[in-house]
Amino acid sequence: MSLLSAIIFLPIFAAIFLFFVHLHINLVKIVYMIVTLIVAYLAMKLYIDFDAFSSIQFIEHHGWIEQYGIHYHVGVDGVSLGIVMMNALLMPLVAIALYKQRDKRGYWINLLFVQGGIMGAVLALDLMLFYLFWELMLLPIFFMIGLFGYGKNNFISMKFNIYTIFGSLMMLLSILYLAVEHKEQFGFYSFALEELKNITLTTTESLLVFSGFMIAFGIKIPIFPFHTWLSDTYRSAPMGIVIVMSALMAKLGTYAIWRFLFTLLNETSQELAPYFIWLGLFGLIYFGISAISQTHLKRMFALSSASHLSLIVVGFFIYNTYGLIGSSYFIVAHALSSAALFLMVAMMYERVQTYTIDSLGGIAKVAPLFALFFAFFALSIVGVPLTAGFVAEVLIILGAFEYDTLIGFFAATSLLIPMLFMFKTISKVLYGETNEKTQNFQDLRAHELVAIIPLALLILAMGIFPNYFIQKIEPTAKAFVDKKEAVYYE
Amino acid sequence: MSNTFIALAVPALLLSSAIFILLFGLSSYYTKNRGYFITLATLFVSFIFASLGIGTKFSMEILPQIFNSMVVYDTFAATFISLFLLGGFLTLAIAKSFVDKTDFFTHESFVLLLFSLFGMVVLTMANELLTAFIALEIASMSVYILVGLNRNSLKASEAFFKYLLLGSFSASFYLLGMMLIYAQAKSTNLDAIAEYILHTELHSQLLILAGSMLIMITIMFKIAAVPFGAWVLDVYEGASLPITAYMAGVFKIAIFAFTLRVFLQDYITFDSVYDPLIIGGAVVTMAVGSLLAVIQTSVKKMLAASSVVHSGYILIAFASIGEATASAASAIIFYLFAYFISAIGAFGVLSYISKGSDKLIQYEDLNGLAKTRPIIAASLTIFMLSFAGFPSTIGFIGKFYILTSAIEAGYTALAFFGAITAFISIYYYFKVIAHLYFKEAEHVEVHYGYKVSLAFIVISALVVLWGGVGTSLLFDIPGINELNAISKYAVESLGL
Repeated sequence: MSLLSAIIFLPIFAAIFLFFVHLHINLVKIVYMIVTLIVAYLAMKLYIDFDAFSSIQFIEHHGWIEQYGIHYHVGVDGVSLGIVMMNALLMPLVAIALYKQRDKRGYWINLLFVQGGIMGAVLALDLMLFYLFWELMLLPIFFMIGLFGYGKNNFISMKFNIYTIFGSLMMLLSILYLAVEHKEQFGFYSFALEELKNITLTTTESLLVFSGFMIAFGIKIPIFPFHTWLSDTYRSAPMGIVIVMSALMAKLGTYAIWRFLFTLLNETSQELAPYFIWLGLFGLIYFGISAISQTHLKRMFALSSASHLSLIVVGFFIYNTYGLIGSSYFIVAHALSSAALFLMVAMMYERVQTYTIDSLGGIAKVAPLFALFFAFFALSIVGVPLTAGFVAEVLIILGAFEYDTLIGFFAATSLLIPMLFMFKTISKVLYGETNEKTQNFQDLRAHELVAIIPLALLILAMGIFPNYFIQKIEPTAKAFVDKKEAVYYE
Repeated sequence: MSNTFIALAVPALLLSSAIFILLFGLSSYYTKNRGYFITLATLFVSFIFASLGIGTKFSMEILPQIFNSMVVYDTFAATFISLFLLGGFLTLAIAKSFVDKTDFFTHESFVLLLFSLFGMVVLTMANELLTAFIALEIASMSVYILVGLNRNSLKASEAFFKYLLLGSFSASFYLLGMMLIYAQAKSTNLDAIAEYILHTELHSQLLILAGSMLIMITIMFKIAAVPFGAWVLDVYEGASLPITAYMAGVFKIAIFAFTLRVFLQDYITFDSVYDPLIIGGAVVTMAVGSLLAVIQTSVKKMLAASSVVHSGYILIAFASIGEATASAASAIIFYLFAYFISAIGAFGVLSYISKGSDKLIQYEDLNGLAKTRPIIAASLTIFMLSFAGFPSTIGFIGKFYILTSAIEAGYTALAFFGAITAFISIYYYFKVIAHLYFKEAEHVEVHYGYKVSLAFIVISALVVLWGGVGTSLLFDIPGINELNAISKYAVESLGL
């Protein structure tokens, strides 16, 4: 089995193994650690062997459903590499930080399953294969919320499930339509990305196909009108899955816009781009403002995460080298920061048993280390210089200015809103007077530091030496923009 | 073995075994176990015989000098026959606890089961309307009685009467239709009718059009399509679980087999006349079925209502047969297999956890099953996912073929409607999963026994998964490609 397949299927098979073989919970955690560390090692190997001068590589190609031209076809490029790395890196760290809190087998099994599902969806180059993994990763999230969530978790997991599957089915119709069109124009079915992009569609057709895809992606990210599942789900979901959703699943939605819509429906995407840029900017402001008024910490970060994801969408739709590199950089940067921040929220919950912002305060006095890291991650999310978020935001804003001065102006100014609520949160949670809940706040323990320090170092490294990381993405982005311009001038 | 021999051996085996059990049941050597295993063995052996014909393309009339081309045996027939023989086998194998624990499941029940299968076998081979009618009635009559097996249950008796009355009533439409067709085409042989249709102007064959319409009504009744399927909820509810599984999974396949043959040979010439009707039927069936399924509180009734929805999906493919013949027809066969294996499994699980009683399984009865019986819960989850068309299960591939054929035929809006229906179905199928995993159990751990039933349930679940992802590249087991090829050969053997 070659590298990419191993990365995809090792966690899935481990999950199936753990489901059928009843091990003691400690053994389950050990198996989880071993598997995720192997995946992380494989991903490191992938990163090192990744050739910075070519686009898609490590391709694997096997027949699957031959009559319909469906193949097992995976490969990695600069943009997907970022998500693969994040997925491989975050999973073991999540376990290190949370292993004391969670003593249910299902928790770890589902996390392994979701890791494999996300890997598959990111690496798939065949639309049917992508759809398979896109849906598969939903299942563990559904189970996690239903089994380990808080509040009205059954209702919320059902709502989330129904919401996202609606999107997926619309996408399925679009995929099928493309495949049938391919058959009519070229005489055989195909679901391969590079073959499907050759077909020609009328304006109406491409608009409908585009909206089918966009509904699916828009719900997962979520962009503005499709966000109504968001705050409930984040509030109810257990922390492991919140991290998966905010750091990985949402990013997958933005990635899919780039990978599938821009490849398959390049011209339509370009024509519709202004609308989505405005929608993204509106989302950025709207989610930001709703985040300011939140009193529940998880909901607040959920909305803040949605706000930044809207920025990523804007970056992609700006459609130039800066925007693309900025957005894919932001995918990684935001994944690191938000995962770290949610981990810290989980640690805080373990200590004070509350998520309400108003009942916290004065933590900096009793737990300086905790306060230091919390503030660092919160600031890195809003893009303070020397952090990864800063580089990404600057790139996106540069791209926005190159695209249109007005949009650049809006993007730059609306980034102040996240600062607003982040500073507010930091001041309320960390400073002020201690109360009976926070006065015995225990500082970070060793295993928590182990989980967090790598993230902090990586955020710093990506903020101080961005070139080393950008060089892996640049050829992909350049090749893409060149191709787009070639089409444009033809 | 020659095909003629197989074509004669399979029905003969079923019939003689039925008659044997009928007589043997009166002797003092008879025990229920013996009857059970004789039936199982008969089904298994005849399945093996029939399955020899799968995957190679052939078509032949059986002893034309005797039967005068009333029955044919081709890959199409062989495929379907092995499909529902396998279905009968699995139903009975999973229902072991039910057979043991109920006193109304006597030796006549085995006989009726075998008779109904005999009827289905002949129905699938029938190349002539009258033969088909007789076979259909043999199968239906046996199923009527199977529905009412439990004489002490008022619901079962009600279901029996309802089904019997409506079923016989609908059968009369078939007779009338057949008569009209005969009046114009001067034959009841499908080939002869097809020949006639081909060489006559469309507007001068009013009798054939009207007759076909009447036959369609009977078919719509049997597959429980709206508005002719009003019986389905009560009958499925009243019948014992294995019988419900048998009706939903096996009997329906036989009806569809005959329908498909008639469609591909005769109706296809004037599909422009029927397409709007079938499309309308499909839409109404899916909509009403979904509505019914959503409001049910018992799992069994929900599955019954959802089987209506699945008939609706298959009608989508029937509507597409005119424009995308090959892909639509093989999509139907694949979907039937997908639905059948999931339905047998799902009803099997219900029958397994109800321990042979006639208890109506409510959603609440599934609470906490995942904790006490993880394997059963996982299997039921897989079946539900397959029903819902979730990727990595065979149900998804089936839905994929059907929607693709609809789009290929130009019915994108219909495919859209199918997708919406699938979306609604997420609600009621995932409700089952939610009850299995998220709700706490009130009851204490129960020992169900019957490892064999469990084994067959698990095997069905594995088949469902393998049919969703399987490829012979990975292990040397036939996967999606091979299933696909089987349904393609079956369609091709009709010689279109």
